[in-house]
Amino acid sequence: MSDNLMVQGVQALKALGLNYAFVLDDMERQAFVRGLGVSLQLCLLTIPGSLVVGVLLAAMLTSGRAWLAHPARAFVEVTRNTPTLVQLYCAFLVLNMLITQQLRDWGAGPNPLTPFIWVVIVVSLHKGVFHAEALRAGIESVPATTLEAARSLGFSRRQLLLRVQLPLALRFALPSLVNNLVDLVKMTAVASAIAVGDVTYQSIMIWTQRDNVLELLLLILLWFGLLTWLLSLAGRWLEQRLRMPGYGQ
Amino acid sequence: MRQHSAYSRSIARSLTGVAAALTLLAGTAHADATLDKIKQRGKVTIGVLVNGGPFGSIDPNTQQLVGWNPELARAVAKGLGVEADLVQVQTATRVQFLQAGKVDLLIASMELNPDRAEILGYAPTPFYRVGGAAAVRKDSGITQWADLRGKPVCVSQGSSFAKPLSTEYGAKVQGYKSSSDSLLALRGGNCVAAVHDSTLIHPLVNKNSEWSQYAAPIASEILPAPSVVWTRKGEADTIAAVDKVVQEWHRSGWLIAAEKRVGIAPANHFLVEQQAKLKTAAR
Repeated sequence: MSDNLMVQGVQALKALGLNYAFVLDDMERQAFVRGLGVSLQLCLLTIPGSLVVGVLLAAMLTSGRAWLAHPARAFVEVTRNTPTLVQLYCAFLVLNMLITQQLRDWGAGPNPLTPFIWVVIVVSLHKGVFHAEALRAGIESVPATTLEAARSLGFSRRQLLLRVQLPLALRFALPSLVNNLVDLVKMTAVASAIAVGDVTYQSIMIWTQRDNVLELLLLILLWFGLLTWLLSLAGRWLEQRLRMPGYGQ
Repeated sequence: MRQHSAYSRSIARSLTGVAAALTLLAGTAHADATLDKIKQRGKVTIGVLVNGGPFGSIDPNTQQLVGWNPELARAVAKGLGVEADLVQVQTATRVQFLQAGKVDLLIASMELNPDRAEILGYAPTPFYRVGGAAAVRKDSGITQWADLRGKPVCVSQGSSFAKPLSTEYGAKVQGYKSSSDSLLALRGGNCVAAVHDSTLIHPLVNKNSEWSQYAAPIASEILPAPSVVWTRKGEADTIAAVDKVVQEWHRSGWLIAAEKRVGIAPANHFLVEQQAKLKTAAR
């Protein structure tokens, strides 16, 4: 029944000049659907991952302690100023190879780091840096009088950060954080470069055999469009929810 | 080397379509302007693939392109009685270079397959034959294609070896952006074998000391396909002129000598076969 529907759908689209015949091939259709899932997985892991990195780096940057702030600043600058793809290549093709060789020399068995894990690490770190800068802007925009008031109430440095600065910083930084996250969703497509089976990779593997580039690109656009739209919705909902009465408008 | 950008192909295809439509609209039978242009200018522009090794590299002293592809390109020009203008091309963009008229011919380690034959023209006599070979670690225990079943195998994205590897031999194919990425992934232990053109794999494992722990132990090649000189679609005069030159290379044994001169090893038996075939045909 569903097979029939698919055949009809493919034929209807063919009349429009679109070749979606790949969905009739079990292997290719399954690969593509798996790709949709892998892209979603990448997003679900890198969004919290990058936020954790962002908070840690922002805390280091604004700690006022040189031994924390300087390394964090250096990391931010290096990461922010080099392309994600280059970082991914360096991490996966160079660092990963050295790790594998070292493990082999030690007789420690195979390297447990898969391409998938490398993508999660690299994208989380890369976007985490941008989150850190957005959060830093938020932290630094907390009025000095507020901090003074908190200090006079006997807040420790950690309490000050967790209870006063970050909650306010989050509200200030939320629009840029959501912006960064939308970018992050799109960035997961770099996974295709190192053969992680995300939707982009599976599409490339299909269109190099079938030449239906346009058709697959449309599907990729729709999928990423849907993911980023959901993210924007969530962002707007959070902004509404976290709005402080009497603050701003 | 066998990989190709399907994206560029489909664009090229639509461009060909537009060109064909324009020709029809004009209502004229299109003469082959390229050969006339080549003769008129006294110069033929040839796109060559130069990716290191005996098939094409840049001489560090003279900055000249040397090796198999450039050598052949110069010989084509000589055969046509004109000067050679060599242009370096990349695997991903070589078809666009030809389609856009930046080059007149392609000698770019580009094998004949039905997809390409649909959008481009080519001189029917092949000048070489290349198939896929697998580089594996010497301690991997792999000796034949069937040993790859169920194991991760690295290829380039768009490689024509991807399909036979997964359907015939049941390998788990991983496609990387380029052959160098795929080879690095092999060294990183992400796959048990990297499958590329034998012309890339053999020199690497035989001559490169960094690859001393790797070998190409599988005797047969997968998907052996002929390399040809590519032209734009329908340029019958150019094709005929170039084909004559290529046939003469085989007959005179020039190709066998050139292969030896640029240091391609092992020598390709195809050249000997082709020479014998053309000699009998000439008789």
